[in-house]
Order: sequence, then C-alpha cells, then structure tokens
Amino acid sequence: MRIICPYCGERELGEFTYLGDAKPQRPAADAGEDAVYDYVYLRDNIAGVMSEHWYHGGGCRAWLKVTRNTLTHEISAVEPAAGVGAAKVGA
Amino acid sequence: MADFSWDVRSPLDRALVAGRYGAQGDVGVSLTEIRNFDLVQVMARRGQAGEMIAAAKARFGVGAPETPKAVSASDATLIWSGPDQFFVLSKGGKHTMESLTPGFAGSASLSDQSHARALISISGEKARAIFAKLSSIDLHPDVFGVGTAAATSMDHTSVTLWRGGDRDGQAVFNLLVFATFAESLWHTILDSAAEYGATIGHSEDL
Repeated sequence: MRIICPYCGERELGEFTYLGDAKPQRPAADAGEDAVYDYVYLRDNIAGVMSEHWYHGGGCRAWLKVTRNTLTHEISAVEPAAGVGAAKVGA
Repeated sequence: MADFSWDVRSPLDRALVAGRYGAQGDVGVSLTEIRNFDLVQVMARRGQAGEMIAAAKARFGVGAPETPKAVSASDATLIWSGPDQFFVLSKGGKHTMESLTPGFAGSASLSDQSHARALISISGEKARAIFAKLSSIDLHPDVFGVGTAAATSMDHTSVTLWRGGDRDGQAVFNLLVFATFAESLWHTILDSAAEYGATIGHSEDL
C-alpha cells in the first residue's frame, strides 16, 4: 500500500504510522460521562470507506486525513489534518 | 571535580576510515562526510509562513523552499524539511543560530541542529544503484533533478535527502541523518557500496 502525501508525493506504507478513525470529535466539557466514554473508547468497525488519521513520521512529519476503503485498501483522498501544516494548503 | 574537555567530534569519527572500501578496481561511488557545518532548523509559527519566506529572502536573496526543494544561496543552502519548515545549511560559523535569530523574530522558531546531524555526500556512477537498496524514492534524473529534496526514511531511519549540483558530470546526493543513527546508516551504506568499490573521505567543503 502507498499513500500520496500532499507534501511529499507517493510514499511507501513504512513511512507512515496509523492512528485510527478520524471521525470522533472531542465532546464539549459539559457533554457528560457517556459522551466522553464514547469518544475515548467506542469505535465503529467499518467495512468500507472510512476516514483515518495517518502520521508521516518517516517523512515530513505531517498528520494526514486519509479516506480509505478498508475492504480494498483503495485510497480515494488524502488531505492534511487540521493543524499548523494544514494552514498552508491552499493559502 | 573532573575537568571535561568538550572536543567537537564527528558522529562518524570512529566508523569512517578514509581510503578504498569494497571491490578493488574502478571506483563506483564516492562517500564523503562533510564536517564543520552550521545547520539551523527554521519552522514557521502558526500562520506566519509567508513572513518566514520573506525573512529568508531578505537574508539570503532567495525565498525559503515551499515544496521539497533545496535552494542555493550564495553562502548557504535552504533545504525543505516539511510543511512550513526548512534547514539553513552553511559552513561552520557562517549562518549560526545567533546570527539568524533576529531576522526570523516573530515569524519562525529556530533550533540549532549543527551537532545533531551528520552530513554524507554520495556521488559516482553507482550512487543511484546504492540508493536503490536503501530508499524507495525514484532518483532518476527525470524526476529527481538538481535541487530536488525529500524527507524520507532509509533503513528505518529518517533522513533529509537532496540532490546538489553535479560534480564531474555525475549526480551528487546529500544526506542529513540524525547523529545517533549516523554510524548505523553509514555501515548500511558501506554494505550497499561494497560490490561497486568505494572511495571514502571527509571534507569541510559544502
């Protein structure tokens, strides 16, 4: 599997580290225990297209948001994850 | 209390043995460690990338690279190292942390890497053949021309790679590697170079 880093271009999987689902959003401070439990522990086991965070630690050290089909490994989109590096893209 | 003597020594001081290595006969590749350089990492503060690039232009006469490139200034090389960040590489004492800091005040954070990296220059007819064993990056001149840079990994070690100006009609590849990983990667490079015959040395010429 290869990932096309928006900064570096196409690179082999070994340069990247997988974090996991990019969907969960940190709940508001007053959201309650159930919402925090859900955010920290509960993950969907998606068979199909999912949005994931990957870290290009063996390259430019940018966090990426990758849209990948877990059944076929087909990657349909890669974009910088929110953060310092992302501020640059399109600017 | 004991007196300490803080001699500056290359991370490859022990591993590098100048002379011939591997197959005898033709020299397939030249491995040269570059010593005594100043290396400063410049990273833009949030939203300040434009200001950082302008500050680099004011200082060096060329803008900082915004894509994986190495840009030559008169007495320094600016090497892309990731989004909104680059290295300033110069001869020892030329562009030091102290001398660079005022120009980037407000736009970027600086970090001195001079003694944190080893710099290895690889050239010769078989240079690409060696990298073919170490790296998955395509170094063919059609895609990796003079001045192209890459932040990548070799032998599970993060490196900054760029192609410098040609020497004797041959491509020159420069490699910055973390000081503590330099010896390990050096031995891997030697293993890769052995079958082609290498000439090994060190230099202070950037």
